[in-house]
Amino acid sequence: MIGRPLAVLSALALAAPVAAQQTGTIVGTVHDSAGAPVAGAKVDAVGAAFTLTGAAGRFRLREIPAGTVRVRVAAFAFRPDSTQLTVPAGDSVAWEVILRPGVFYIPGVVVTAGKRPESLENVTASVEVESDSVIARHAVTTIDEAVNRVAGVQFIDGQVNIRGSSGFQQGLGARVLLLVDGVPMNEADRGGIDWDLVPVDDAERVEVVKGAGSSLYGSAALGGVVNIITRDIPEGIHGRVRFFGGGFANPPDSLWKFRSFTGMQGGGSLTGSFGTDQVRGALTVGGHHSDGYRQQDASDYLQVAGRGEWLPDPLTRVLFTGSWATNQFQEPLAWCGPNQCPNMRGLSYQPFLVDTADSGNRTRSDHGYLTATVTRTPDENTTWMARASWLRTHFTDFQRAGNDFAVADRFGAEGRIVTTPTSDQTVTVGAEATESQVTSDIFQNHTQEEFAAYGEAERVVGAARLTAGARVDLLADDGGGLSAVISPRVAAVLPTGIGIWRASVGRGFRAASLGEKYVTTPVPPFQVVPNPTLRPETAWSGELGNTAVVTSWLRTNAALFYTRASEYIAPELVGDSIQFQNVQRVTLAGLDLNVTATPFTPNLTASLSYTYLDARELATDSAPSQPLAFRPRHLLTLSADYVWGPVSVGADFRYSSRFDRVELYETDPRVAGKVLDLRAGWRLGAFDVRVLATNALNYVYNLAPRTLEPVGTVTMTVTYVY
Amino acid sequence: MRFALTPVKLTGRRKCPNCLKMRRLQFLIIASLLGCNDGLQPTTICPPGLVGICGHVTFRGTLPDSTDAVYLVAYSAFPQSEADLFNFRPFPPQVLGLPPAGDSVVAYGLPLPNDQYHWVVAVWKKVGNLNPSDTASADSLLREAGYYRDPADTTKPGVVTVQSAGAGGIDFIVDFSNMHSVSYFFPP
Repeated sequence: MIGRPLAVLSALALAAPVAAQQTGTIVGTVHDSAGAPVAGAKVDAVGAAFTLTGAAGRFRLREIPAGTVRVRVAAFAFRPDSTQLTVPAGDSVAWEVILRPGVFYIPGVVVTAGKRPESLENVTASVEVESDSVIARHAVTTIDEAVNRVAGVQFIDGQVNIRGSSGFQQGLGARVLLLVDGVPMNEADRGGIDWDLVPVDDAERVEVVKGAGSSLYGSAALGGVVNIITRDIPEGIHGRVRFFGGGFANPPDSLWKFRSFTGMQGGGSLTGSFGTDQVRGALTVGGHHSDGYRQQDASDYLQVAGRGEWLPDPLTRVLFTGSWATNQFQEPLAWCGPNQCPNMRGLSYQPFLVDTADSGNRTRSDHGYLTATVTRTPDENTTWMARASWLRTHFTDFQRAGNDFAVADRFGAEGRIVTTPTSDQTVTVGAEATESQVTSDIFQNHTQEEFAAYGEAERVVGAARLTAGARVDLLADDGGGLSAVISPRVAAVLPTGIGIWRASVGRGFRAASLGEKYVTTPVPPFQVVPNPTLRPETAWSGELGNTAVVTSWLRTNAALFYTRASEYIAPELVGDSIQFQNVQRVTLAGLDLNVTATPFTPNLTASLSYTYLDARELATDSAPSQPLAFRPRHLLTLSADYVWGPVSVGADFRYSSRFDRVELYETDPRVAGKVLDLRAGWRLGAFDVRVLATNALNYVYNLAPRTLEPVGTVTMTVTYVY
Repeated sequence: MRFALTPVKLTGRRKCPNCLKMRRLQFLIIASLLGCNDGLQPTTICPPGLVGICGHVTFRGTLPDSTDAVYLVAYSAFPQSEADLFNFRPFPPQVLGLPPAGDSVVAYGLPLPNDQYHWVVAVWKKVGNLNPSDTASADSLLREAGYYRDPADTTKPGVVTVQSAGAGGIDFIVDFSNMHSVSYFFPP
């Protein structure tokens, strides 16, 4: 079976030097207006050849005669689109298509929810997709800015929350798992997330799975999973140059003025790629500088990222990815309270200034990763995958009281088989191993081992699609005894006349990070002390959701969710010390609602995303029930985009209600978040110009204690693609 | 003909005479929803409306029986000679509330015009008639009883900026057992 394609490939390879002089290739991706890939779309180079898009919406038209050719795309339920392309001889040209909705709606394909490609309408969890076109339209410069726009997601000073999962713990112990091309990338020491591992331009899409994902992904996936999927490399030689620059608004009140100039930021990146039928590679280098919007907030950043692919035969793909970044930034934590700064101008707090005790503090953070993944599809019913990964983080805090550092390595390996024995059954099984090593003066020197096996089976019964699975994780510190955690999950999807219903119940967990267990550091007037006996926190989560196409121009997606967690890990005050302990039983319940519409004209897309969250610590013998700290009760995002030929304009309004409760600084002022972002874009041939005004009203607010969220910022981005 | 139709169209529009007001109302509602300017606001330690300085004075030592009053004054520049002694603000000077018996802390608020002040000082006055033109009179009746100090270097006077609001946290110590005469600063 394999011999014939190889023979054909060999013949093609021999013929290539001649044919390449006369023909070229057209590559691209077809998305819908919400950014989801469109599978099965017919892409036709008129008079030459046609093809259908794959599961990820990608297509490749080979051996197209060089010169001008008309290309059109048509897909069920979408308005057809066409353009005229100039195909270079012996090279390829890219065409990225965004189809406007027609009468019906066809869902896209995601890979994160079930560790395999599946249609969005078959997914048993709530999944949001931010495609590269959506990311580009929003003109964001980092991945976290893109994720922050997803419904139900909120960042608190860099710490991600999905449905209120993490709260704020200075970045320690994220209850969200970050994946890069499916590979876990949470830090080995702190369990947190470095959102800059992948340059934003290298991301093809970001998939966000809400709710417990531990039955497939294990620890940290207690609140959800974010998967950054890097961009495929087209054939031929291609390049991308991107520059951005802008400025920060000054404080809206002269009493808060803290410098005599306007803060600026700017940077750029350069990507080059080369691809053939068998070997492809891409390299991105970039960097930026920011003055920051507060005192002591400047940063300098450099990054290099690469991707290589080897396709030894049509059924096998070997993928290498990696990046390295160095970030040097000043630390603006803790604003000035009364008499903490030399010139307070009579203010009870000065949010743009830094407490003199923190004056001069800065951090150098170097981090990067390498992955190698082999994927093979030996027959049409089976796919197996094996991968290895290495993540390294190294930070040094330069502080007045003494420097702190940590070097952490996370080595991972995974094997997985996805098989479809019959047309109505799919089985996924796999095994995973992770070794974390930390060398640090504040976390000490420790290792953490995790071994896991997982399996999930899906079966179609009548109209319903039923899924059941479980994962067993074995955990150990410093080579000690293993403790086991079992995370089962059952789920179902049922298409009906009133939309597609989905329901799931599962157990999630998060093992305490080495940082939470072994941290030893002064936080005046307290001392943070270690707690090696911390146990994993566990939670039962349930969800009932519905996705419906109400009319040809209106879609809804709603979900009721409930999580009850025990052994919740939180910092507790014990005498004069702070220690992470398994102390809380909590519930997080609420509602997600998304409404997407293309009213009046297909050029206009509007959406409403609302999350209601009731997050509570349950009563104990010594304390009554109370709201969980750092969780907003209401999150609302209103968006609208209008596309008119090469010009587009749009706006987002994001509202997060005032936290019912915060920790440590309960008397500090805090307000609701109300942020208006405006954007405009203009595409001129290979150039793309975007202007973004974030927090256009220059609304001053805080989420994390004693530090400000970003003030008004204007950024212009110019991208040239070859 | 088209111009002739214009009044008809205008008449039609007048069916909604309050449209402009409604649009304004809608704009106000939207602006309110967007929350213009209701984020974090500057809040001063001083009493609302005060333009000047405020803080706490810690009294130490025993109040002398010969006390007439204790004044609180501010100098834009540190006096360079005895001739500058009365170039202070506010003028006439404001009396600082006297402490109850023993060591105590008293809050104060001193109205001052917008400026930068390099010496905020408490001046003790002995009972007697003060003649501003008579240096000997000032030297015998006035004492520096304490002043606001630079938080970064407490051997130096602190600098205070008043900018259309109350500058708070201007705290200092008045020590009746360690007062200095005019000649201490300007030796004969």
